[in-house]
Amino acid sequence: MRKTWAVLRREFVERVRTKWFWVSALLVPLLYASLFVVPALLLQEGGPTRIAVVDSARSTLGDRVTRALEAGHAFRATRVPVGPGIVDSLLQEVSAKRLDGVLLLTGDVVARGAAEYRAANVSFPRDLRELERVLGDVVTAARLERAGVAPALLERAARPITLTTKPIAGTQVSRESAAQSFSLAYVMGILQYMAILMYGVTVKSSVLEEKTTRVVEVLVSSVRPFALLLGKVLGVGAASLFQLAIWGVAGAVLVSQRGILTAFAAPTPGTAVFQVPQVSAAMAAIFLVYFLGGFFLYAAMFGAVGAMSSSEQEAQQAQQPIVWVLMFTFLFSIFALLNDPNSSLSRVLSLVPFTSPITMPVRWAAGPPPAAELATSLVALAAGIVAVTWVAARIYRVGILMTGKRPSLRELVRWVRAA
Amino acid sequence: MTAPILELDHVTKRFAGTIAVDDLSLALRPGVIYGLLGPNGAGKTTTIRMILDILLPDAGSVRLFGRDGLAREHSARVGYLPEERGLYRKMRVVDVLVFLAEMRGLERRTARARALEWLDRLGLAAWAGRRVDELSKGMQQKVQFISTWLHEPALVILDEPFAGLDPVNAQALKDVVLERRHGGATVLLSTHIMEQAEKLCDQLCIIARGRKLVDGTLADIRRTATGQHVTIGFDGAVGAAARVFADRRLVARVDDYGQYAELELAPGADPQELLRLLVESGARLARFQLMEPSLHKIFLDLVGPETAADARGASGPGA
Repeated sequence: MRKTWAVLRREFVERVRTKWFWVSALLVPLLYASLFVVPALLLQEGGPTRIAVVDSARSTLGDRVTRALEAGHAFRATRVPVGPGIVDSLLQEVSAKRLDGVLLLTGDVVARGAAEYRAANVSFPRDLRELERVLGDVVTAARLERAGVAPALLERAARPITLTTKPIAGTQVSRESAAQSFSLAYVMGILQYMAILMYGVTVKSSVLEEKTTRVVEVLVSSVRPFALLLGKVLGVGAASLFQLAIWGVAGAVLVSQRGILTAFAAPTPGTAVFQVPQVSAAMAAIFLVYFLGGFFLYAAMFGAVGAMSSSEQEAQQAQQPIVWVLMFTFLFSIFALLNDPNSSLSRVLSLVPFTSPITMPVRWAAGPPPAAELATSLVALAAGIVAVTWVAARIYRVGILMTGKRPSLRELVRWVRAA
Repeated sequence: MTAPILELDHVTKRFAGTIAVDDLSLALRPGVIYGLLGPNGAGKTTTIRMILDILLPDAGSVRLFGRDGLAREHSARVGYLPEERGLYRKMRVVDVLVFLAEMRGLERRTARARALEWLDRLGLAAWAGRRVDELSKGMQQKVQFISTWLHEPALVILDEPFAGLDPVNAQALKDVVLERRHGGATVLLSTHIMEQAEKLCDQLCIIARGRKLVDGTLADIRRTATGQHVTIGFDGAVGAAARVFADRRLVARVDDYGQYAELELAPGADPQELLRLLVESGARLARFQLMEPSLHKIFLDLVGPETAADARGASGPGA
């Protein structure tokens, strides 16, 4: 027991001492912060687009479009009276960068719905969308007026609708919006996948280092292989929890300070695109439980992989099947499960121990499954850990002292039986 | 006679068809330096691994400190320097030593104090806080050597301890071994460098292809060697003496080293007759000495035919 503790402490201290630990501890919160700041920065880049509105039909349409554009934040619109050579001189203004674009309206706009926008940069989708929307609104109104609809009625008909979306958790309506729980599920999936893979591979490398340096000979002559593997997995697990705690605290601070962050980046209110998810205590608990479960399950397997290989290259190959399972689960969770969290495949995969550590938290974030399913999934995961550790410990015991070629599947089965 | 501290009783180990250790029995009494000698692939390392529970024997038993059971249970009283060296490369020197001592059951603080003491003694004090991979190979080897002794074991097993060390460092480590033996430690030392074994070991066991060829004290082993041995030093080259060496009635075997030669006389040959013939031949002699055969010579005589056969067969795993 004391020796297991010593192994655990060594693993933890050596992990936490590395540069990489602190680089990733800082990098992930930075990435997270950039989710707030970068979209806001992109939005405010260059300020509002300056355009001139030319109405060759000399109708009221030009004035109305100009007013509607001015009402939004995206444009600084100027109504320019039509005259000979006016378009050419405006285009010169654009090439001199005193103007960003020219909107040309003709008599055709109302009848045929055709207008023209000339600008130095026509690839900024937000501008184009806004332009189309404003034009569409104004032209629709003009057409309806021509057809004899009263302006007062028009105004009432055009009153906007606000659609709020809320996922249902049991019988309670949660306070989060669908967009929030979607991004939360997404982040959960990425985090689970990254953390399990990263720390699983750490266990593998640690086993492999002891094997290739033959330190393991000295260790095995003084401590039981199982105690060694246990201390190692627990030590790396403790380091990973420490890392997650740093990320969690950094994330919480960022979320609570997001007002400052986005205000700093985008002075205009209401421009933040990224919805900040609310993480409930239950969600955090689910995440943590499945992270630990997944970590122990995969760490044991990665440990066995390290033990049966005698070089890093060999281990890379041997770990492929495990990495594939993880990657498939991750991709499935992000692309298929989020679209339909209650499909039968989604349900099955959130019960199977090898996939549930990623799928279940993602499913939970998208909309909590029934309690019975959660309980079944947890029991299955626990049973999976016991079974996998039992097999992995046997492979480990034989493997760490073996040198030479990698064992075949048949030899592995023999190791498990014989040990 | 005191009870043996380590006892191997008809131990056998096979690897996929080849026999690595074949019915080997040994006994180490407390306080001796016991040399396990043999050519590469003789089964030395396999034997040591069985003593330490790293491998399980297919037949026979190993008893440590007069008791059955696993070596792991005695780990606090056993030190082990494996043949294939290696330490955690990224760890600090002193941390590695403390960790390995903890594995042997030593308490952290004691381990740390002793580690610093040892590092100082072997001239590595300045490196205590450095990472292992910043050290030279020789320094790493010394660090690992230290880790064998930190917990003050009663039995220390050293597998090729001086391999790859320069003479100064080899001398320093040899001094440690002798000093610890005077302190009461028992040492099992595997080597294929005969000169070292000859100087250091109280008892010896020569094995080849997993079988014991001979064991006992150096004097015991010398007695098993046959024939009279003569060392002849030349003032210049062998020259005319070569004709005398070729006389099979007088000389059974010659090991010619250029400046001198070791001769084994033919049965019944008179060394005085050899001297007379050499003088008559006109060879210029610097030395003519009747002597006991060196361990090196005995080893070659015993193991020579075995290794020749070994080279033809498949070599087994391990050493």
